[in-house]
Amino acid sequence: MFEIQVVEQGLVRLTGRLDASQSDHAQSVLAELHHSLTLDCAQLDYISSAGIGVLMETYKRLTARGQTVRLVNLLPRVRNVFAYAGLDRIFTIE
Amino acid sequence: MLEQDFPRDFGSLEPIFGFVRSFLAARGIDDRHAWDLDLIVEELFTNMVKYAPGRHPIRVGLDWERPVLTVQLRDFGVPAFDPTRAPKPDVEAPVSERRAGGLGIHLVRSIADALEYQHRDGDSVVTVRKRLDP
Repeated sequence: MFEIQVVEQGLVRLTGRLDASQSDHAQSVLAELHHSLTLDCAQLDYISSAGIGVLMETYKRLTARGQTVRLVNLLPRVRNVFAYAGLDRIFTIE
Repeated sequence: MLEQDFPRDFGSLEPIFGFVRSFLAARGIDDRHAWDLDLIVEELFTNMVKYAPGRHPIRVGLDWERPVLTVQLRDFGVPAFDPTRAPKPDVEAPVSERRAGGLGIHLVRSIADALEYQHRDGDSVVTVRKRLDP
């Protein structure tokens, strides 16, 4: 189960498991957003390289336009995946 | 080794995760290990689905010989495709130069203790071993 919800302007809540079967859905929602983003990951249980790829593409697209992307409230196991990928030094993670 | 075949489709991921959880529960293994195992199996499975021109279901096998859990995926009747030879992604590079390719196997290497590949009898067989702390 995975849900992506645009809570308000600039705030997106990710819930559940962002795996390869859900990455196209996540990509289609994020592609519609064009301003700085805070991604609330408090309820994101799991992420794989497919999910990381979606967030990386979103980061590249928005930062190229001078916008920012913040990830907040990551569970330790999700944060570890970002660390393995070397992305904990790139994304603003709080 | 407990084995089950899954259609080569991303829609198989949820049943595969269920297979992993059932295996752990039946052996009394703490399900906090499931997250790492899910990631290992997903990355290997999706790699085969995306890059190997197979036409058969993919066999996922799990084996537990305390304290080592073995994950094995077999893709039937495909040319050799060795993920252990995949170029390592540069995880130090600026994000503008990053590509998603290769990241999955890099994650598997980061989590697992051993990653092996064999091409035998026309099948691709990837085996991962991970020591599970009590």
